Amino acid sequence: MSSQQKITDSPIEFAVEIINDVKNSKDEGVLKCVQCGMCTSTCPAARHSDYNPREIIERVLDGDETILEDDNIWNCFYCYTCHSVCPVGNSVCEVNQILKQIAIENEMGYEKLYEYMGFADSYFTAAIGAIPEIFFTDIDRDVPGWWDFRQHLDEIRNELELDPPLMPSDDVIDEVSKILTITGFKAKIEKIRASQEGDNEEHSR
Amino acid sequence: MRDDLKVGVFLCECGGNIADIVDLDKVRQELDVEFVGQFENLCSLNGRKIIRDAIFDHDLDRVVVAACSPISHEKTFQDYVKPLNPYLMDMANIREQCSWVHDDKQKATAKAITLINASIEKVKQSDSVDPIYCQTPDEVAVIGGGIAGMNAALSLAKQGIKVTLIEQSPSIGGHMAKIGKVFSPVKIAEECGMCLLNPILNELVWNENICVLTNTKVIEAERRAGTYNLILEKSPRYVDTEKCIACGKCAEACEVEVPNDWNDNLSTRKAIYRPFGQSYPESYVIDMDNCTKCSNCVKACTMKAIKLRGKPERIPLQVGSIIVATGHKLFDMDKRPEYGYTRYDDVITQSELGRITGVNGPTKGKLLKSNGEVPKRVVMIQCVGSRDEKPDGHRYCSKICCTVALKNANIIKHKYPDTDVLICYTDIRTPGMFEKYYKHTQENEVRFMRGRPGEVVKKGDNFIVRTEDTLKGEFVEIEADMVVLSTAMEPSEGTKEIAEILNVGTTEDGFIKESHPKIKPIATDVQGIFVCGTAHDPKDITDSIMQATAAAAKVSEYNYGGVEIEPFIAEIDTEKCTVCGECIARCKYKSMSIQNDEIYIDPMSCTGCGKCLVGCKQMAIHVNGNIDEKILATIKGVLSKKQDGERMILVFLDNIGYTAADNIGVNRLKYPESIHIIKVISVNRVSPKHIHYALDNGADGVFIGEFPGDLMYDEVERKIQGVKDRISEMGENPDRITFSKVYIPYFSGLARKLTDFDKKIEELDEAEL
Amino acid sequence: MKNIPDKDILLFRSCLVSVEYPGVEASTKFVFDKLGIDYSISEKQTCCTGLGHYSDVFNQIDTSAIGARNFKIAKELGRPNMVMMCATCYAINKKSVKLLNKKDDLREHINKLFDENGLSHLKYEKDDLKPTENIFHVVDILYGKKDKIKDNIKYDLSDYTIATHHGCHYCKVHYEDTIGGVRDPNIMDELIEECGCKTIGWYDHKRATCGTGFRQRYSNPDLSFNATADKMNAIADEDVDILVHLCPNCHIQFDRYQHLIGEREGRNFRAIHLNISQFLALAMGGDLDKVIGQKAHTVPIDSVIKELKEVEK
Repeated sequence: MSSQQKITDSPIEFAVEIINDVKNSKDEGVLKCVQCGMCTSTCPAARHSDYNPREIIERVLDGDETILEDDNIWNCFYCYTCHSVCPVGNSVCEVNQILKQIAIENEMGYEKLYEYMGFADSYFTAAIGAIPEIFFTDIDRDVPGWWDFRQHLDEIRNELELDPPLMPSDDVIDEVSKILTITGFKAKIEKIRASQEGDNEEHSR
Repeated sequence: MRDDLKVGVFLCECGGNIADIVDLDKVRQELDVEFVGQFENLCSLNGRKIIRDAIFDHDLDRVVVAACSPISHEKTFQDYVKPLNPYLMDMANIREQCSWVHDDKQKATAKAITLINASIEKVKQSDSVDPIYCQTPDEVAVIGGGIAGMNAALSLAKQGIKVTLIEQSPSIGGHMAKIGKVFSPVKIAEECGMCLLNPILNELVWNENICVLTNTKVIEAERRAGTYNLILEKSPRYVDTEKCIACGKCAEACEVEVPNDWNDNLSTRKAIYRPFGQSYPESYVIDMDNCTKCSNCVKACTMKAIKLRGKPERIPLQVGSIIVATGHKLFDMDKRPEYGYTRYDDVITQSELGRITGVNGPTKGKLLKSNGEVPKRVVMIQCVGSRDEKPDGHRYCSKICCTVALKNANIIKHKYPDTDVLICYTDIRTPGMFEKYYKHTQENEVRFMRGRPGEVVKKGDNFIVRTEDTLKGEFVEIEADMVVLSTAMEPSEGTKEIAEILNVGTTEDGFIKESHPKIKPIATDVQGIFVCGTAHDPKDITDSIMQATAAAAKVSEYNYGGVEIEPFIAEIDTEKCTVCGECIARCKYKSMSIQNDEIYIDPMSCTGCGKCLVGCKQMAIHVNGNIDEKILATIKGVLSKKQDGERMILVFLDNIGYTAADNIGVNRLKYPESIHIIKVISVNRVSPKHIHYALDNGADGVFIGEFPGDLMYDEVERKIQGVKDRISEMGENPDRITFSKVYIPYFSGLARKLTDFDKKIEELDEAEL
Repeated sequence: MKNIPDKDILLFRSCLVSVEYPGVEASTKFVFDKLGIDYSISEKQTCCTGLGHYSDVFNQIDTSAIGARNFKIAKELGRPNMVMMCATCYAINKKSVKLLNKKDDLREHINKLFDENGLSHLKYEKDDLKPTENIFHVVDILYGKKDKIKDNIKYDLSDYTIATHHGCHYCKVHYEDTIGGVRDPNIMDELIEECGCKTIGWYDHKRATCGTGFRQRYSNPDLSFNATADKMNAIADEDVDILVHLCPNCHIQFDRYQHLIGEREGRNFRAIHLNISQFLALAMGGDLDKVIGQKAHTVPIDSVIKELKEVEK
């Protein structure tokens, strides 16, 4: 495979965009990468899949934006091991999160988020994060006794002299809903949902 | 009276560097002085004649040279104004701080006029003073008896200089003695390190100009006008070196066995021991921390050389200069536990591998694992603790580890061709001739993998090294039965201690800092103290020796030439002084002391900061050079050229800040024309009076910058806060004053700060309109 | 050593602790009371967004805005020392405090949104909280009272083989603040030693993730369980009885899925899983039902701990 770099190409801009992202806490870390591979050496996803954190940075520094569509980036565990050992002070883990947010802003990866909409919903209904109900059948299949335990949660909490599960009052829920509306979160969720549910309808047709 | 002085101004075009931006014709018209001349290159040799002729022809009393920065050419022009006193000349910096930082010709020209006018006003306040010369004693202390210290001592001794070589451990020789084999890049072969070290050691021992003190540390140091008074502490050896014949009967009799640190604890020694076969002094020594005082050795010694009692002895030593050669230590492997060094015997360091492969080492040179077998595969991991900015790591490259790994890999391959050696690296750094040795290593079938391993774990009898083969883009688990870690070099404890005792500057990494990394790589920031070897930064034996001999040459220069000191320092009027000691307590530079019932000021350490002046109730202290008046005159000189609507910001910087400001120009960065930089001996000399005067007479803002490493930093910061508080009480805006840290390397930061401050002042001006 | 508070603490409730291992909260309170720590809980607090954040549903602005609201609650209660039971709450909140303090653009953006929408009371001022001085995990607080643990020990657990699993989001995200090591984490090992027990210390994959990987457990279960299996195998190789955790997410992954992963690996994994607070509460005499909350556990605690032996005084 060969490639060309035209005089007008500016591969570094992709990295600069990442550096300027609000989530980035490592200043110019990404630019200091020397491809030593220590991230990959310690990465659980690299051990068990085709995910390669070093290569993520290699592609970012090449200005290769096709990485945003690469399925592999969704394999990161967010375990921050790379972040905690990177000798030059970069964090692939953070870069990965930023890449995904850039992808989402560009309407990519919606199908990856769809199953997790429950995390968003629970904020609007209860101001807490709760495991999306969509996964309950899987959990019940994989974890013997879990469903039964969940049915008795209130009793267990009573026995522990704890209040009922974290359930803030309505004014708290309203306030949180408002926050998540004004940050643009709600609109984003609705857009993702519409796109996926629209897709489903198309498929079913 | 001073106003009547005849001032001559010499404008330098600097071959267009100045004249292309600053309209010198306009400058000439604007100046009201006895003489104005303009020349293409004033610093060239004919500049001397031009200036001298003008001084004679026009009977000049004072000279202003408007040219480059005084940092570049002050000495030149001080010389060119002869027969005028050198301190009757001042330089207006219209290059680094004008033509190189501004683009707008009109504004740059106006600013040049302002700067020159400030110099004219300032130089009128100058008086003739003579530089102070100090002759220093010739004796030298070399601290640290490794390869660097030994070479420095030897070179000095051969030039006839008396040297005391101070070594903390019981023997000189340092790391090189235990290194085993060494190689040079040109000879593609490894040779015996001890065989190269021994002749140097012998020569040193027999040289009458060298006094070797082992078991000895510097515990106190004090400097007086070029003389260092050191207090050494010599720990008892418990064995009389004069009587001991190193027969070893004592060690045979001793029943205490402890790990042998000279063998990196891979073998044991007795509590009475000789560090290594060729150690000097040629005598045994008792490790009192482990001695049980059973007296077996005393009984065994036929020479009656052993005494179990002894006290540390304090030795005063007076020298003129000091060479610091206190060396390095190796990275503590506890800091990178994932490599298993503390858990597994067969995970070792390159230093330990050097001992193991050394014929005088624990296995007599055989490469054996802890179970006595020869390893089948040795994996070497590079950059352990180096090139690593995570906590406890070092950002720098330790420089020698690549070649050390190559050397040890070759040594293994020569003796055990069946043992597979794999070096996991990030970059192989073999500059210059070392590259040939790298190729030689590859020819020897040593293997290389580009990847920085994440961890080493034990699985069954073997280790698993987890890494990525970055050239293949593949995560791999490599089986090995010996792992060797190339650990970083870091400043030794002795290096850190001596830096504190001698008050010499260190780098952020704790190495002794040179006074200029490019052009003064051997002098430290303290006159008369020089550095060499790995106390300075990571380097190999060759580089250590080169720097050591260079340090010896620097000491020679210093001994021969003496020291010239700027005369702007404090002076005591002994008639008025009551020797109350207040000034001694106030002086941050420890330059004052009582000698012969009088206050003595060490001219080498006094900076002329003037802190003592404030505390002296008798008003018995005076700082030479009319500094207060000169600052005020400079301020007046700047402000008197202020035009309607012009924003003027005065920036006071000491030598460090001024150098940083010059660097802005050198790098052609920009800052606004409103910035007018005034160089002061110490920012502490900028008094509230000066600041008030400036703000009352047209300055829109005052910026004071100081290097945080300066001992007066906190003091000045407090003082400025006080001035701000008072300004605010008087109804003025304290935001017009700012105090900022400055560093020479961060000139771009200074440019940004100056620009930001200008913007802030602009906003204040607009708001107050 | 950084300064660890023992008062003015807001014990920050965790969504996963609440619905999966409520005994962790009860045990934390039990141990805090024994050690004389001043804390309270707020009804107004919401979750940190961590689960949604690390499933990429929430972006940083959403998370930091929610964070700003929780920080304001802590501040107004006069309990600026926020202490988390969950490693992810710890990482998320510490990062939000850092970013809100350091990044003027982010802070001003969020404050402007608050101002324009009648939420001015939630505005975050720079340095309202400090990441190192105010944001803690329960283990930090316990570590600060390390010397008092010994006096409160009732039961001797030293016969069990104990290992620790330090949550990634406690150790690695803000590694500069982590107590007891990042590359070989040991804060829990040190706490367990104060109970008169010895842990096995280092084992293969000690610092590795539990394998949850947020979306990995649900969307990539093979990847997730393979990573967990690395660790479970290493723990079984060391014949561990009790694995001690500090994060409910890891706790779920090990306790809930141990059986399933055992089947996948063809091995019978038998370790029980306790949070560090549960471990200390147990050693201090906490009741298995009323304090430890054993009914919430999938691997029965009594499968390993059959009887409790009092320490000899």
